[in-house]
Amino acid sequence: MVALASCKKDADLVEVPPPVGNEVELITTMTLLFSDDAGINPDVTATFRDPDGDGGLDYDIFDTIRLMNNTTYNTSILLLNETVSPADTISNEVLDEDDEHFFCFTPSLANLSIVRTDSDGMYEVGLQSQWTTGNAENGTTQIVLKHQPDVKDGTCAPGETDIDVTFVTEVQ
Amino acid sequence: MQRFLQFIATLTLFLSLSPLVAQETCSYQMSGYVLDEHDQTPLSGSKIYLQDGSKVAYVDSSGHYHLDGLCKGTYVFYCKHFGCAAVKQTVKITSNTTHNFYPEHHIDFEAIKVKGEKTEEELSLSKRKLSVRDKNEVKGLSLGDGLSKLNGVTTLTTGNNISKPVIHGLHSNRILILNNGIRQEGQQWGNEHAPEIDPFIADEIAVVKGANSVRYGPDAIGGVVLVNPKELKKTPGITAELNAVGLSNGRQGNASVAINGCLSKLTPLRWRIQGTLKQGGNVKTPSHYLKNTGVKEYNFSYAIGYIKPKYGIDFFYSQFNTDIGIFSASHFGNLTDLEKAFNAEEPLESANFTYEINRPRQHIEHELFRTKTYIAAKKRGKLSLTYARQYNKRLEYDKHPPLNDSLANLNLPALQFELTTHTGELIWESVRRKTLKGKLGITALHQGNTYNGRFFIPNFQKIGTGVFWIENWKPKTTKIEIESGIRFDRIYQRIFMRKGDDIVSPAHNYQNLSGTLGAIYKPNTNLVLRFNLGSAWRPPNVNELYSDGLHHGAAAIERGDSTLVTEKAVNLSSSVEYNGKNLSIVFDAYYKVINDFIYLKPTLEPTLTIKGAFPTFMHDQVNAHLRGFDLTVDFAITSRLSFVSKTMILRAYNRTENEHLVMMPADRFENSLEYNFQDRGRIKNTYVSISSCSVLQQRRVPQNSDYVAPPEGYTLLNLSAGMDIRTKNTTIALGISINNLLNTRYRDYMNRFRYFSDEMGRNISIRATIPMTLFTPKSSNNN
Repeated sequence: MVALASCKKDADLVEVPPPVGNEVELITTMTLLFSDDAGINPDVTATFRDPDGDGGLDYDIFDTIRLMNNTTYNTSILLLNETVSPADTISNEVLDEDDEHFFCFTPSLANLSIVRTDSDGMYEVGLQSQWTTGNAENGTTQIVLKHQPDVKDGTCAPGETDIDVTFVTEVQ
Repeated sequence: MQRFLQFIATLTLFLSLSPLVAQETCSYQMSGYVLDEHDQTPLSGSKIYLQDGSKVAYVDSSGHYHLDGLCKGTYVFYCKHFGCAAVKQTVKITSNTTHNFYPEHHIDFEAIKVKGEKTEEELSLSKRKLSVRDKNEVKGLSLGDGLSKLNGVTTLTTGNNISKPVIHGLHSNRILILNNGIRQEGQQWGNEHAPEIDPFIADEIAVVKGANSVRYGPDAIGGVVLVNPKELKKTPGITAELNAVGLSNGRQGNASVAINGCLSKLTPLRWRIQGTLKQGGNVKTPSHYLKNTGVKEYNFSYAIGYIKPKYGIDFFYSQFNTDIGIFSASHFGNLTDLEKAFNAEEPLESANFTYEINRPRQHIEHELFRTKTYIAAKKRGKLSLTYARQYNKRLEYDKHPPLNDSLANLNLPALQFELTTHTGELIWESVRRKTLKGKLGITALHQGNTYNGRFFIPNFQKIGTGVFWIENWKPKTTKIEIESGIRFDRIYQRIFMRKGDDIVSPAHNYQNLSGTLGAIYKPNTNLVLRFNLGSAWRPPNVNELYSDGLHHGAAAIERGDSTLVTEKAVNLSSSVEYNGKNLSIVFDAYYKVINDFIYLKPTLEPTLTIKGAFPTFMHDQVNAHLRGFDLTVDFAITSRLSFVSKTMILRAYNRTENEHLVMMPADRFENSLEYNFQDRGRIKNTYVSISSCSVLQQRRVPQNSDYVAPPEGYTLLNLSAGMDIRTKNTTIALGISINNLLNTRYRDYMNRFRYFSDEMGRNISIRATIPMTLFTPKSSNNN
C-alpha cells in the first residue's frame, strides 16, 4: 500500500558503475595440477584463464598439457574466480556440491587413459583423477564440467555445461 | 477433441434457435451503440427516439440501445445525450438493423476537444485500431499478442509469455509505444523484453504504420503503437466495469476492474481507479507441458482530472508488476548444450502443471506518473504542458544460483537494470482558421540507466530535446487535405563503464532533421486515399554501442560497436480505404529505405571461453529496404454472413550485402467466416466466427546466419463466438475463443525458442465484461 502513495526511488548513481565481478560468480580460471604417482617426473600444471569471463577480454592463458610418456599422474583440478580479490576458489564450492557436478574427460590420444578417482558417495566427481600415459604422441584433451542438480547419473549426458575446454596435449 | 466439436455444435444450435427468416412487416429491430465519436467511449445516459415519441430507447451503461417493432421504411431518429443537442439521423429499415450513433457534445465539445491526443486526428499515415470486438477477443492476452489482430502487425516472442509487437517487420527500438501519450521507456532494446503495459487499462489500442518521427521523435521508424485509457467519465455518477477472463492453456485467470466517477456537484472533477490481476501456470504444447512457463501480474492505476473547457489538469499514475517464468530448457551452458536441445524430440526437461515460477525468471516493475495541464482559447487554440516520470526495474535470474553459499543466499538477480526517465512536452495547437491548422511543440527527455550484476549494457545518461512544427491545409471546398511537418532533435548520451579499475565515460552526440509530407483525398463518401512521405531516425542504442556478453538463451556472444552512426529511414506509404455496401477494402502499402540499418552480423571467428567456443555476433550497419502491403477485404455474403480475408506480405532486403534480412515475419494469410445471429429478446450481437491463419515458411533468410533452417509453415484454425446479454440495468458481454482448435503442432520463425520448443497447443478462453452503474445522481436526468 505504501507503493500506492509514493513513487519508487530513482536509480542509484549513474556515474558509478559497479565493479566487474561484483555480486556475480564467474569461473575465470581452470588449472590442472599433475603429480607423478611414482614421484620421479616433475610436477606439471596447465591453465586456461579468461580474466573477465564470457565476452569482454579474450582468454590470456591457454597452456598446452605436456606430460611424460608411460607415467601415471594424480591430477587435481583447481577452479578460480579471479575477478574478485582475493580470488574465490570455485573448486571448493564444486566439492561442497559434488553430488551436482561431474567432470568428463575426452582425450583424442590413443594411449592416454583418464579415470576419476573421487566420489560424491554415489557417483564419481572428477576433481581428482588419474592420467596414465603410454608412448609419446600428440593430440587434445577435452575437459567438461557438467552441472547436474537432481539429474546426476554418472554419465555426461544430463545437465548444463559450466566448463568446456579442449587442451592441446603432448606426451613426450 | 470430440468434446470440443460437441460443444461447438451445441453452441451453434443454441445460437441458431432464433428464427432467421419470415419477418412480420412491423417486427424489425434496430440496435447498436451510442459512442463518443472521438474515442468510442460508450455514452450511457443517452436516448434514441422518434420525433413523435412513438418509440424511445434508453441507452444502458455499456452504451447499448435496442428498439423493436419497427416497420419497413425510412425513419428519422434523434439521439440525445446528456448535456448535448440532439442529433438527427435518417435510417432506412429493410431488415433488422445495427446502427451506431455518435452524438456531438455541443456544450461539452470544447472540453473533449481540448483533451488533445484524444481527438481523432486525420493522419496521412494509416492508423488502424482494434475494433470493440477484437478488443474483447484479445482480453487476457499480452499487449503484443493483442496487437497482432491488426493486419501488418506480428509478434516477436520468447516462449509464450514474452511477446513484442512487430510493425512491418520492425520492432524493439524501431517502434515507439505511446502509453497514455507518453513514450514508453523500458529496456525495449532486448528481444526478450516485452512492453510493460497492462492491456486492460487500454480503451484504445491502435497502430500508426510507417515512419513518423516528426510528431513523436526518434525511434518511430517502423510505426507507433498507441495505448490510451478511457477518457475520464464526463457525466455525473459512478460506473464500474468488471472483466474476467479464463484461459485453459496454462489455466490462466485474469480479473480486471475499473471504477469511474464524476461528481454531480462539480462535474469537471473526474476520476478513475483500475486494477488487474493475472496468474497462469505451465503451458502445454500439443504433447507436453513446458517447464517453468507460468506468469504472474498485478497492475493498478488511478487518474484524477479537473477538466473545464478553457483549462484543466489531470494526473495519472500506473504501476505494472510481473513475474515471468522462462522455459527451463532454454538456458544453455554452451553451444553443445544448445545443439543437444535442437536435436531433442521433446524438451530435455519434462514437467507437469504448476503455478510455481522458478529460475530462470524475470521480475519487472514499471511505474508511470503523468500530469497534463492545458489552457484553451476558443478561437485560437490550446496550449498544453505534459510531464511524465517513468521508472523501470528489470531483474533477470539465471537458471542456477551461484555455487558460493553466501552469494546464493542473497538470491540476487544475475542481471539488474534500473531506468528512470523524465519527459516533458509543451505543445501549441491552433484551431483551423480558414484553411490552416497547426501544431508547434518542444519536447525534452532525461534518462539514467544503472545496472548491477553481470555486465551486459553499461550505465548511461541520456538527454534529448526536440522541436517540431506541423501544419495541416484543408480548404472547405476541396476533397483533399495536405499535411506537412518538420522537426529537429538533439540527443546527448554519456556512458559510464569500467575498464579494469578505471571508470571510462565516452559521450555521444546525435542530431537530426526530419520531415513529413502527406495528403488525404476523399473523392466520395466511400473512398479515402492516403499518401505519406516521411523521414525517421534512430540513434544507435546503448546495447548496439557497448553490449558485450553472453546471451544464455541464444548461446551466442553479442558485441557492440561504439562507432555506429545514426540509422535513418525514408518511408513512403499509401493506403486505400473503400467502404461500400457489401464490400470494404483496406489496403496499406509501404516502401521503406533504411540507411545504416543496425543488425547483428555473425563474425567468422567464434569466441573461445571457458565454456567452449561461442558463435559471435557484432552490431554492424548496412543499407536496407523493406516493402510490402497489408490487405483486408471484408465481404458481406448476406446480411448475416460475412467473409474477411487478410493478407500480409513483407520483403526485407540488405542492399549492402545483397541478401535478405534476418528475423523478418513470413507471409501470412488469414481468412474468416462470420455469422451474425439475429437479436433475440435480451440476447444481442451474437456471432460465431471461424478463421484459418496460414503462415508460410520464411525462405528469405541470409545464408549461414542461423543454426537451423526456419521452421515449416503452418495453418491454424481458430474459433470465436460472443454475445451481449441485456439485463435490467446493463449489458453483459460474453465471449469464447478457441485458438489452435485442432491442437496443431507447429513452430514459428519469430519465436526465439523455435529451436527447441513447439508453440502452445489448443487454448480456450472464456471472458465476461460486466459494466455496472454504481451511483447515478438524481439531478442528472436526461433531456
